[in-house]
Amino acid sequence: MVLEATMICIDNSEWMRNGDYSPSRFQAQADAVNLICGAKTQSNPENTVGVLTMAGKGVRVLVTPTSDLGKILACMHGLEIGGEMDLAAGIQVAQLALKHRQNKKQQQRIIVFAGSPIKPDKKSLEMIGRKLKKNSVALDIVNFGEDDEGKTEKLEALLAAVNNNDSSHIVHVPAGPNALSDVLISTPIFTGDGEGGSGFAAAAAAAAAGGVSGFEFGVDPNLDPELALALRVSMEEERARQEAAAKKAAEEASKQEKGGEQQSSSQDATMTEHASGATSEADNKRNDLSDDDNALLQQALAMSMDEPASTHDVQDSEMSDAAADDPELALALQLSVQDSAKDSSSQADVSKLLADQSFVSSILASLPGVDPNDPSVKEVLASMQSQSETQQKQDEDKAPNEEK
Amino acid sequence: MACTHDHSCEDHDCSSNWSLYKHIDLAKVTALNEANPGSVKSVFKAWEDRLNSSGEHLESNEGDPELLVYIPFTSDVKIKSISVVGGADGTSPSKMRVFINREGIDFSDAQGMQPVQEWDLVENLQGVLEYQTRYSKFQSVASITLHFPESFGGDTTQIHYIGFKGEATQLKRDVVATIVYEITPNPSDHKTRAETGGGLSQVE
Repeated sequence: MVLEATMICIDNSEWMRNGDYSPSRFQAQADAVNLICGAKTQSNPENTVGVLTMAGKGVRVLVTPTSDLGKILACMHGLEIGGEMDLAAGIQVAQLALKHRQNKKQQQRIIVFAGSPIKPDKKSLEMIGRKLKKNSVALDIVNFGEDDEGKTEKLEALLAAVNNNDSSHIVHVPAGPNALSDVLISTPIFTGDGEGGSGFAAAAAAAAAGGVSGFEFGVDPNLDPELALALRVSMEEERARQEAAAKKAAEEASKQEKGGEQQSSSQDATMTEHASGATSEADNKRNDLSDDDNALLQQALAMSMDEPASTHDVQDSEMSDAAADDPELALALQLSVQDSAKDSSSQADVSKLLADQSFVSSILASLPGVDPNDPSVKEVLASMQSQSETQQKQDEDKAPNEEK
Repeated sequence: MACTHDHSCEDHDCSSNWSLYKHIDLAKVTALNEANPGSVKSVFKAWEDRLNSSGEHLESNEGDPELLVYIPFTSDVKIKSISVVGGADGTSPSKMRVFINREGIDFSDAQGMQPVQEWDLVENLQGVLEYQTRYSKFQSVASITLHFPESFGGDTTQIHYIGFKGEATQLKRDVVATIVYEITPNPSDHKTRAETGGGLSQVE
């Protein structure tokens, strides 16, 4: 959410007619610019963005830094391709435009699209870079299009001269099937050094995959703000309800593992009800997140199936109250009892731990990117529970022997 | 000049004079051309710590000794004098130009504008020198910008301490936020004294 004034320098030289980026280099560039403007204005409503062109008859400022997205998108219309790009002048004019921004509290940033060969030599670029650094202006460079000899080297030198504390970035986009904007979405140019724009970026990424407009819930907040608001509120409510239910489930599951299965199935029912309310965007996001974790959970399942725990379930019923309050205490108790028991292979320990749902829930909650309320996670947990249930029935006769 | 009294100068006597650093809005202090972003905040400390160079200090980028420091205060202050402790080996600043109550100055502005006052500095490694201001011009300072254009020949400029001597008023400089211009006056906005019932002015 950093407060920033950005000037975007567009390359509209003759080299932009080339079609190696679909549909043409210029069009790909325009799409990327639109996306960047949206991202910047969304991440902080007081951010301003301005646009200038570097080629044509000369450097021309199309829009001075403004937070009005419509104005920026409108000025991208009807741009003409021609001439040669003047990088040095473009950056200097951008710096001047930023100097006269209305809100002096904004950080200054320039984003340059360098698609054609670069005329100034490395030394003058470095001087420009140092001047930018001196005035604490950050610079992002998008290197695409023509791959001149020395172009990459010059741009890297420029970045090294400007870079102050990793606030400036360079992205090389080779020609290929991926659109320029798609490649840029995952770069720090969009994500703003790791914070802020990532929400927008994630939504845009999901949209690009799903092929719908890049807004949360698939509804343009500008077109229908009430619907978007209602969807967001219902998502929040559902999330809160699931969290409360999951907490209850975790407690009860460690006490009575039989009851837990029924509960999770009822939760699944309620979730399918509300799943229709939540849209594909949110589900896509969550599914993407849990794909990796599903693999891990499957592995854990396999391990628990290989090594049936003998003493584990009895210990659970003994320590149910403790486990409900403090899963780590339960773990410690488990480990100490397991050590004294004969069954002490490390694999068995891990499988017992993994079979303990409360412990797994707490671990999952601490994993970044895993939502314990995710339906797929819940199903896996429920199936693991049923595993431990069958183990309990099998091992009840062994239990009295090893109970301490 | 500080500390040239006849008696031996107890530190706390002098340091109470140099207490304007408490009125600096440290969160909003910024500097241009500093090598480590944020290091400028370390130069504002108590007078006793002015020679304590163990912590961070403000240093300009390699090969470029120019520095610009913007210092806002939490209330309006009157500044009597300024003290600057620089670095050794020619890294002390040689000149200082100040601007008052202007924010967002950058190097091209600073080089072009006429400063409120400027001084030729000397190397002041012991921190015993202070530079007096034309007090009448420094009566209500909400923010001050110090521009150090050059050093004594060093590659960079280092500053270990900046101190201000003066007094703090409790006032805050009011920036006019909104101005309403009237084309035709609205009588209800302009009640005269007679109407509000105050008639005679009171002399006490």
